[in-house]
Amino acid sequence: MNRRYVRRGAAAVAFGAIVLAIASIRAQSPADNNWTTYSGSLSSHRFSPLQQLTPSNVTKLKPVWVYQPPGVGTVETTPLVVNNVMYATWGPTGVAALDVRSGKTLWEWTRPIAASVLNLGFPRVNRGVAFLDNTLYVGTLDGFLVALDSRSGAEKWTVHVGENPLGHSITAAPLAVEGKVIVGISGGEAGIRGFLDAYDAKTGKLLWRFWTVPSPGEPGSNTWPGDSWVHGGGATWLTGSYDPELKLLYWGTGNPGPDWNGDSRAGDNLYTSSLVAIDVETGKAKWHFQHTPHDVHDWDSNQIPVLVDAEFGGRPRKLVAMANRNAFFYVLDRTNGEYLLGAQYAKQTWAKGLDEKGRPILMPDMEPSEKGTLVYPSLQGATNWASPSYSPSTGLMYVPVREMGSIYFKTPVEYRPGTYYTGGSEKRLDEESWGAVRAIDVKTGKPAWDFALPSPTWAGVLSTAGGLVFSGSNEGNFYALDAKTGKALWQFQTGGLIRSGPMSFGVDGKQRVAVAGGRAIFVFGLDD
Amino acid sequence: MATAAVHAQPPSPAVRPLVNAGAKDLADGKKIFDAQCAWCHGAGGTGGTGPNLQRTTLRNAANDAALAQLVRIGIPGTEMPSFAIALTERMAWQTAAYVKSLGRTKSKPLPGDAARGASLYGTNGCGSCHVVSGAGGALGPELTRIGTLRGPSYLRDALIAPAATHPPGYLVVRATRPDGSEVRGVRVNEDVFFVLIRDAGGTVHSLEKSKLATLERQLEASLMPSYATRLSEAELDDMVAYLSGLRGEK
Repeated sequence: MNRRYVRRGAAAVAFGAIVLAIASIRAQSPADNNWTTYSGSLSSHRFSPLQQLTPSNVTKLKPVWVYQPPGVGTVETTPLVVNNVMYATWGPTGVAALDVRSGKTLWEWTRPIAASVLNLGFPRVNRGVAFLDNTLYVGTLDGFLVALDSRSGAEKWTVHVGENPLGHSITAAPLAVEGKVIVGISGGEAGIRGFLDAYDAKTGKLLWRFWTVPSPGEPGSNTWPGDSWVHGGGATWLTGSYDPELKLLYWGTGNPGPDWNGDSRAGDNLYTSSLVAIDVETGKAKWHFQHTPHDVHDWDSNQIPVLVDAEFGGRPRKLVAMANRNAFFYVLDRTNGEYLLGAQYAKQTWAKGLDEKGRPILMPDMEPSEKGTLVYPSLQGATNWASPSYSPSTGLMYVPVREMGSIYFKTPVEYRPGTYYTGGSEKRLDEESWGAVRAIDVKTGKPAWDFALPSPTWAGVLSTAGGLVFSGSNEGNFYALDAKTGKALWQFQTGGLIRSGPMSFGVDGKQRVAVAGGRAIFVFGLDD
Repeated sequence: MATAAVHAQPPSPAVRPLVNAGAKDLADGKKIFDAQCAWCHGAGGTGGTGPNLQRTTLRNAANDAALAQLVRIGIPGTEMPSFAIALTERMAWQTAAYVKSLGRTKSKPLPGDAARGASLYGTNGCGSCHVVSGAGGALGPELTRIGTLRGPSYLRDALIAPAATHPPGYLVVRATRPDGSEVRGVRVNEDVFFVLIRDAGGTVHSLEKSKLATLERQLEASLMPSYATRLSEAELDDMVAYLSGLRGEK
């Protein structure tokens, strides 16, 4: 019996009910009730070990409460839940602490963000916080990292991470590990030079900075001619993963700058559109793997790296899997970056395939052009920032997929501080496009099942030990699928675009599922 | 990254007068226009999916600064998208200068007679599906301001081959139930689990997808009949002249 339940279940009758409810969750550790980091765990499985909700009872799922934060715009947060308090965020930069039983606010914190604050290449959103030792860490649209007391919302410290007038912003949830707060930066359309920072969680002191684009003389600098590296991009705009045994961070990097006109940057442009493994203590790269060398389609590799321990090729291995924006699914050995498997998982017309090292074999004439070049996937990619989920129970990775092509244009480009540095545009083929939640076998890269959606999705995916997969749609549906077959079991129309990652938590022995739809956060559960 | 619409752009500063554009600026602007704007506005701005730009005044751009701004950030809530990611301020200015120069083009007057077109609109029963100034049916798009939204070449194509030009929001879908019965019509709305179809009789059907045998998107179809043989060439010209003159003005 967890002490928290004893303390809160003061009345004897309530106490008895709670004992019964806990029994129904069976053998769950109290920690399973929490969701303490953006992707659910440091391995980024976005998987809940809770088993109360199953394919047989999920049909009875109902809304329990709805929270509507102040302001306007779609909420893109994945809330955290720690000890019966939910921490949710909204754009441009706000945080709320909510009582998970009632949905009532404990406190709200909003950072004033002037209309003049730049957001070059992305909406004015915030996607979540990190939690460590009664402290929340939130990045701000104007380029700061703020530590808040999780009990009151009081500011503990604030540090300046990047110059917003030059296009730096923070929309991603930081990652808090080993007494450090790891935070990435946006600005890949503004000609920034990307970096990943580590700050002391207690003081806010900068511990190290990893530049995703090397300066002259550093390894990889020979992939940048002249001074093209100065505005080389490589933003780190989504949350990475962490292996506490290897002490390695896994972080995706964004497109090189300029996005669609690569004339000034002949070469591979390391370490853009790559996955980088970084020593958490030193901030030095241990290895890197570049999915899209010399990217000219804005195919960031910022997608969530999913850490999987599994039998592979006849022996247990530490793997990192990524469904990449470029339409290929990759499995690497996460100890050394060795390429183990690559497979196309969505329509693409730019590569004949991958060679034995995982490098794409290019189709001719697929670069953006003045007259326009039709290429699949679109610049938004075969998947984007919406989180995948991995279920250790099924061995499947559930990927939000965007089936769409674009006509890519190339235009002349010059760097001007605080403006777009892209060199092109796209015309999307909207009408013929569609979306899916696609289940991919991590060991083979082969699809197991597909759940089709009317349009290319922006919703993340959650899987649960109860055998369910949850996701959303642009059309507002929040739904549950059978994790083994992809069969739809339940749905709720939220009335707003779902551009967020669902999560699950437990309270009073009851499993809950939460998702942001439109400008509201919905929490679902079963009747008592 | 470029993952979504861009919000809250700071207001644009006053721009240099567009008449100051030199031959090189106009040539650069034309190049950009041909690549990125002509898809909708037609080569030379004669109109198409987007309005004809060969006009001395443009309803959404009262002055040079507004025109340059419009080229760059589009018109929110309409089909005119933002080009803020693609075009620098200079490129937008050059494009705006080229667009402004189109207003000095002596555009060819339309060959038809608008009054005769109005009469044909009535006798052919167009109003049973389309609304003009508050009167008409609900099956097809409203036409009250169609002359400000579409160019004459598009309107003519739409009369001859409606299926090739159906506007967004008027996708034709066909649903069949397990018993073989069928609902075909305009897709009013769709989500993952439901589809709402307005049939040719105007009835809206709310259908659960899981209870359908098939659901087909007919990208090349329209509920509107072709007028290629119903109207003569001269009558088509008259109808285009009438529709082009529908500008939402009393």
